Amino acid sequence: MDRRTFLTTSSAAAVPLGSIGAAGLARAAAPATPIDFKSNLPAPGSFPDRWICGSPSCMDNTDPPVQVHWYNPHTAILRQNKAYSYEAPFAPLYFGNDRVLLLDEGFVQLRNDWDLRGVVDGCIADWCKRNGRDPASLELLVAFSHLHADHYAATNQFADRPNTRYMGLTQEEMMGFWGMTNFPEERVTLDLGGRDILIWGSPGHVMSEFAHYDSYTQILYTGDMFYRGRCYISFWQPWFDSMKRLIDFCDTHPVSHVMGCHVEISKDGQDYAYGMTYQPDEAPVQMTVQQLREAFEYAKTITKPGIYFTGTVFLCNQTRGTTTIDQNPYRY
Amino acid sequence: MEPNKTYNPALSGNPQSATGRVYPNGNPDLGYNLPGARNTDSAVPLHRGKPVVHDYACDGPAPGTIGFRWTYGSNVAAKNRDPRVQVIQYNEDTFILRQNVCVHWEAPFTYLLFGNKGALLIDSGATAEAHLYPLRETVDAIIARIGQVRGWRDIPLTVACTSGEDVAQNQGLRQFAGRPGTTIVPTPLAVMKQHYGLAASWPAGTGRIDLGGRVIDVIPTPGTHKDGVSFYDPYCDFLFTGDLLFPGKINIANDRDFLASLERLKAWTASHPVKWIMGGHIEMMFVPGKAYPRFATYKPYERVLEMVPAVLDEAIQYAREIQGHDRMLIRPDFILLNNVSPDQRTLEWPEGVPNINPPRPF
Repeated sequence: MDRRTFLTTSSAAAVPLGSIGAAGLARAAAPATPIDFKSNLPAPGSFPDRWICGSPSCMDNTDPPVQVHWYNPHTAILRQNKAYSYEAPFAPLYFGNDRVLLLDEGFVQLRNDWDLRGVVDGCIADWCKRNGRDPASLELLVAFSHLHADHYAATNQFADRPNTRYMGLTQEEMMGFWGMTNFPEERVTLDLGGRDILIWGSPGHVMSEFAHYDSYTQILYTGDMFYRGRCYISFWQPWFDSMKRLIDFCDTHPVSHVMGCHVEISKDGQDYAYGMTYQPDEAPVQMTVQQLREAFEYAKTITKPGIYFTGTVFLCNQTRGTTTIDQNPYRY
Repeated sequence: MEPNKTYNPALSGNPQSATGRVYPNGNPDLGYNLPGARNTDSAVPLHRGKPVVHDYACDGPAPGTIGFRWTYGSNVAAKNRDPRVQVIQYNEDTFILRQNVCVHWEAPFTYLLFGNKGALLIDSGATAEAHLYPLRETVDAIIARIGQVRGWRDIPLTVACTSGEDVAQNQGLRQFAGRPGTTIVPTPLAVMKQHYGLAASWPAGTGRIDLGGRVIDVIPTPGTHKDGVSFYDPYCDFLFTGDLLFPGKINIANDRDFLASLERLKAWTASHPVKWIMGGHIEMMFVPGKAYPRFATYKPYERVLEMVPAVLDEAIQYAREIQGHDRMLIRPDFILLNNVSPDQRTLEWPEGVPNINPPRPF
């Protein structure tokens, strides 16, 4: 099956029988009823009141290396521990009848340092146990929202995992992985087996970025181009156009939450400076469509490079190389 | 200078040795019987009837070395198992303590100096909680050991900060509250001035901390903190400059005071020998002009701590240049930040300095 067909083939046809091992055949004798991902939408789910968010002393941190939060029974959201990397990105794990999509990773490469692979395998095993499936029958797709190392560093942990594909680290391979030929406007549908993920280009923070919409939870995952913190806008016009695409999408599709990859801001709007490893009062990762719209309205008024606070996020327009928000507290 | 007669690097050692020591196997031209030997206490005879008295008067700097590498955190800070307080004895009377960068990213240095009648702790670390950063416990243990070795019963301890307001250096003070035989130099500016007898003369004049045969001078050096002071140790010939001058990103709090303080230190070095300037942190990498960002917990390419006094001239030159300007200025051994964010970056690279990017640590 090539890339184009795995995007479009139906869930029933997408499980090649030949790939099911002996253990799989035993279970396949009593095939589980397919899960219905298309009725009663959006599927309810919840975010935690408070994510694990670091500790005053990193070496004394005893939290799990990855926090696994089940948003609902078929959707997990992973977050890297801040004492393992200050980037501490969020990573959704979407389950379908045929395949599983991992979006984003964390900022550590090696398994001995940070075993993301083990955690993902554990989540898949959990889900399979709950749903009477054989883990070997599920394909894992490891993709990332954009081409920054805190989102793909752990990629090679999946090199020896059976029934797994992962994205390459160039714009060409990223587009090819989703079968795109007309980035960023083209919107493709990834069928996880009854659960559709819509994917399109969202450049601006970097040239190579996607937006992802899960039709089951109706979560719009906006990567690093729009998240609850400092949206580093490297390229203004592509970013503004990407925002417009998000707004247009929200005009035509139901969206339950807008979710970014990081949180770098407190509940009361204080900036957690770049690199901090303890964010005791951090804001929730999920945002509303209204907040996205407000930010877009604010963005329309921006004409110059600089740092702007929309009430939800900081828009850092082409400032990354030169300045930040913090002041020297000892000035006199 | 007379050519070296005995030492042939090709035969006797490697002048580019990884430890940075030009004479990895010793320099035979210096001879065996160096005068500094008398400054070191003797292990024989084993049992002595009266307390050992050290001679802190020496020709040139007291012998001593930083013979080891500083701990530098780890890629995954949560898995770091280095000591919370790293101790390196510089010489018998001088200890350098460093806070583990995975306990606090500032990883400040703390100095413990002994004289014949007391000890001085310069700075106190960035973490108050003793279970995370057991500074007091470590200092107590060193003092107890020195007490045994020298046959002292009580060693009075003074705890002083290079800046009382600096939260990267004053947090450990709390651990010493109520410690018997301990003087903590007060941190409010006015009371601190009074304590050193500088109330009328600040920022001119100097204070003294007499450790018994080893008198530490206190030099007012506001500029990065309004209450900044530097300490001069005439035994090791060290200037302890805290946040004023260190291999890192120097956040200037008042550019006139900053320049005046550097000039004050320059004048001091004209009349007092200085071997090394010892700051409170390291943020620079060992490639010139590059620094670790704030909050970094893994610094495998760190520069060494010590700075040669010539750095003062360079600091003065560029402190003049930056005065009155909101900007960041990169030099090989330090970076000046005047009225800009501590995370400020710049596209200006200093002329003539090689621009080297060390590889990513992972």
